[in-house]
Amino acid sequence: MVYAIFLLSIILVLSFMSFSSKPSPIYGGVGLIISGAVGCSIIMGFGVSFMGLMVFLIYLGGMLVVFGYTTAMATEEYPETWGSSIVIWGALLSGILMELLLMVWLLEHDGMEVAVGFNKLESWIMFMDKGFSIIREDSLGVSALYNYVNWFMVAAGWALFVSVLIVIEVIRGK
Amino acid sequence: MKLPILTIVMTTIFTGTMLTMISSHWLLIWIGLEINMLSIIPILTKNQKPRSTEAATKYFLTQATASMLLMFTIVFNAMHSGQWTTTNIDPNNMIVSLTMIIALTMKLGMTPFHFWVPEVTQGVSLMTGMLLLTWQKLAPISIMMQMFTSINSIILLLIALMSVLVGGWGGLNQTQLRKILAYSSIAHMGWMMAILTFCPSLTMLNLLIYLMLTIIMFTMLNMNTNTTTLTLSNLWNKSPTITMMILISLLSLGGLPPLTGFLPKWVIIQELTKNNNIAMATVMAIMALLNLYFYMRLIYSTSLTLFPTPNNIKMKWQFQPKKRSLFLSPLIILSTLTLPLSPVFSTLN
Repeated sequence: MVYAIFLLSIILVLSFMSFSSKPSPIYGGVGLIISGAVGCSIIMGFGVSFMGLMVFLIYLGGMLVVFGYTTAMATEEYPETWGSSIVIWGALLSGILMELLLMVWLLEHDGMEVAVGFNKLESWIMFMDKGFSIIREDSLGVSALYNYVNWFMVAAGWALFVSVLIVIEVIRGK
Repeated sequence: MKLPILTIVMTTIFTGTMLTMISSHWLLIWIGLEINMLSIIPILTKNQKPRSTEAATKYFLTQATASMLLMFTIVFNAMHSGQWTTTNIDPNNMIVSLTMIIALTMKLGMTPFHFWVPEVTQGVSLMTGMLLLTWQKLAPISIMMQMFTSINSIILLLIALMSVLVGGWGGLNQTQLRKILAYSSIAHMGWMMAILTFCPSLTMLNLLIYLMLTIIMFTMLNMNTNTTTLTLSNLWNKSPTITMMILISLLSLGGLPPLTGFLPKWVIIQELTKNNNIAMATVMAIMALLNLYFYMRLIYSTSLTLFPTPNNIKMKWQFQPKKRSLFLSPLIILSTLTLPLSPVFSTLN
């Protein structure tokens, strides 16, 4: 399991660098898809299956599909890839170098606990209602949140509605 | 912008800030900040030009980064302390207190993270710039006021000192009025944050006076749509009274003694001196002179000189101004003449 997580982490960082080194949007989207899928697998590997599934469905299923369609419509004839410019190679190499330096620095200062110590991600918390119960943080925590704060549903719904409204307002033109 | 959309957006800006101000749970505070940041975007891109779109993008990126840092800090704090209350940040936990200060100062536009403030303010219209430099400061400052007991004060003082320096230094060679007011905002944020860990009610006092002064400055500039020093120097044949009022308000903004703007600087320096922080008070008072210098340049070109520019319309003053502002005169009086009320503030503690 440790090796799987380690491998996934490397792919995560490489895919982050692949989209942040700015090739054309369509290839950036490829990097985003890989990083999203791998990030969700890492989270699931630590046992937070609910959150991983939610992020996977919403991020990859909803958002990135739309992103892929729009970039596919706007794409140029010869899209720029990672190998087409010395600048992108330089950005990629310097990113890898930065990551190596960060790893060395963390290992020198015993900081790996901060970087990869996700031990508390999946845990059980207890809370006091009419009785006393112990719940799992990730999946039941969401329902506990909406159980205690009913109007929070209204706030979350309002925020989602407003964000859609704002996106439409910004892009609709005169 | 259509009226229903404008209503919804303005209501949401208000709601977001209010949600941040009234809640004591970190999650709700973060949600309030996010709602507020998202709903200011259509206001920023109101006059759909490439420059304002760029400004909105810059604002969105910095604020989203700050929100992400804030969320990271909140989660880290919850992992370590097991609770979500605002006031209970552990000051000895270096990661939490440091990233919390970084996130909030980035939201406020203070010095190591100040570069977006002049750029964004220059890219939007005058009234939107006013909204950006006044209302958008309220939510982060209210968080700071709630958690000031657990802030690492050395780092906050350093950021405040740098903000006062950069706010004075950056505005020196500017001719664009919105950029000058943005740098003045950075400097004032520095003064507010310098006193926060000693006496938060003085932060509130400084914030109130800064808000009034910024509102009247932007309103007066908006009456004739002045955006550069050059148009300001042609103001005397359009509205002579406004030039006089700009002089008084700029002197008050710079903190000259008989005016209201002197009050926060006075009490802040006094409070810092009482706390044996004399060096800080001295350095900040010296750096405020940089601010005063570029306010003086604006005053000089507004009302103390006649620029050698061709002037074909000397009789413009006799036309009625098109834009009117209802609260301009009471706000000018409040923000320039209330220094004699200063004994009132000693009863506020």
